[in-house]
Amino acid sequence: MKREYDLVIIGRGAAAFSAAIKASEITSGQASIAMVGFGHLGGTCVNVGCVPSKYLIEASKMLFDQRNPRYPGIAPVAAEPNLKDLMGSLRDAVEGEREAKYEDVIRQYDNIDIVEGKATFKDGNEISVSGNAHNIRGYNFIIATGSSTTVPDIEGLGEAAYLTSDNIWDLDDVPGRLAVVGGGAIGLELGQAFSRLGSEVHVVEALPSILPQAEPEISTRLMESLAKEGIEFIMKARVLRVSTGKVIDIVTAEGRKELKVDAILMATGRAPNVSGLNLEAAGVKYSRKGIWVDSNMRTSNPRIYAAGDVVDQRLMLETLAAREGVIAATNIYEHANQSVNMMAVPWAVFTEPQLASVGFTEKEFTNANGGCSCRSLDLKSVPKARILREEDGLFKIVVDPRNDRIVGVHALSPYAAELIMEGVCAIQHGLTINDVLMSSHVFPTVSEGIKLTAQSFIRDISKMSCCME
Amino acid sequence: MTEKTVKMKVFGMTCDDCALTVTRGLKGKDGVLDAKVSLADKSAVVRIDEGKVKPFELEALPVFSGKSQYRAQVRE
Repeated sequence: MKREYDLVIIGRGAAAFSAAIKASEITSGQASIAMVGFGHLGGTCVNVGCVPSKYLIEASKMLFDQRNPRYPGIAPVAAEPNLKDLMGSLRDAVEGEREAKYEDVIRQYDNIDIVEGKATFKDGNEISVSGNAHNIRGYNFIIATGSSTTVPDIEGLGEAAYLTSDNIWDLDDVPGRLAVVGGGAIGLELGQAFSRLGSEVHVVEALPSILPQAEPEISTRLMESLAKEGIEFIMKARVLRVSTGKVIDIVTAEGRKELKVDAILMATGRAPNVSGLNLEAAGVKYSRKGIWVDSNMRTSNPRIYAAGDVVDQRLMLETLAAREGVIAATNIYEHANQSVNMMAVPWAVFTEPQLASVGFTEKEFTNANGGCSCRSLDLKSVPKARILREEDGLFKIVVDPRNDRIVGVHALSPYAAELIMEGVCAIQHGLTINDVLMSSHVFPTVSEGIKLTAQSFIRDISKMSCCME
Repeated sequence: MTEKTVKMKVFGMTCDDCALTVTRGLKGKDGVLDAKVSLADKSAVVRIDEGKVKPFELEALPVFSGKSQYRAQVRE
């Protein structure tokens, strides 16, 4: 470990790695870089986020499909999960991904030093690192400390040994009855996965709808779909206290309700990791919502940048963090003034059906511009969905009526997280409905739903023959 | 004329020809009075007429931007 670096990156997740690698590329590997942090390399996504959750979701889907075949003539299989083995393989998969995409990668960069410990700014040029005798000076800094799970202060919850997305991966047995507090992406994904593995799942949500950032008609359809699978939703509900034996006292608009469960998953959100950094000493402005940055990812100290979940912004996503890390490094060394087009950043919920979204919702665009043009298409109108016998879903496209440009694409369907990329490209490159109509789609695919929704802007699709362009 | 000495960190130099290219790139800018580039230290010491060129403008010279492999930061 040196005492002075060209670039000090605080954090070791997606944003930190992307920034370190990009800075190395730009400087031909000559920028000396310290990556300071603690815990497993790779941050939230690979260790306790996307990677383990998608593994569990896919495994639970396999079990669900065996028990619930979609086609007549295919008999159900009475399969029982062995969660201990499943979680063991999940942890192996996480370790493998972490090794392949982080540990092995960083070893290939001689200019990057991994420094273990928690960083604290002494001033705008220097940090101390816990467990290290010497401070580290840097010419530039990138703060990429990510986010952590947050849990509200609820009476008795601390004694109830609740689960979060940090520790649920250590379960050996499927809980008989599982309360999921929070109807966001994490709660819904894990709630459905455990429901399919055999838990009786109750989702407790404070708001009147799940996924409030989504198109309301799409989040409503997802909730109906999950409820059909047997998940109970208790909406506009607040957990008052948790008593011995995991009895949850809930207050709703209809009155009080008691829920006795075997496990509680707190999926009540994430907060940026700003505490302990002593950002005041570095002249970096922040709030409890995160670090303020300008459009170039620069903080209020012009030599210090921030990227990823620690930034005060609407979305917490690994892909966004990685892009912001690249942008921060590029702007430091290239004076490029690059920025993220937040309206072209997609997000997805890996339930079944999947929900994916990019750009404006109808309400957002109307509020900002006084009106919009929108079309929705039921998934039943898509031939591939009928072939798949998966008819719970919806497509919606939001268009700027002044120029026909696509400004929002929203999907609830099989493979929505994959096919949303068509919407990303459309928004990123300013494409119009006609541009989509002029692009051939493969038949039969679920992504044909995007084309059919686009066609519904110009004609009644019930009067169209199959594959009509 | 307001003369000033600027110290720069230069990234991307791997040989004597690189140092020469960077030196030429610096000296070609109006207002740069002299430039001494060190391959070993990956640095440059540049004398400028601040009335004609500001220190941070040096970082954006063509030799340090676009498809050029060199990048630089003013350090002092």
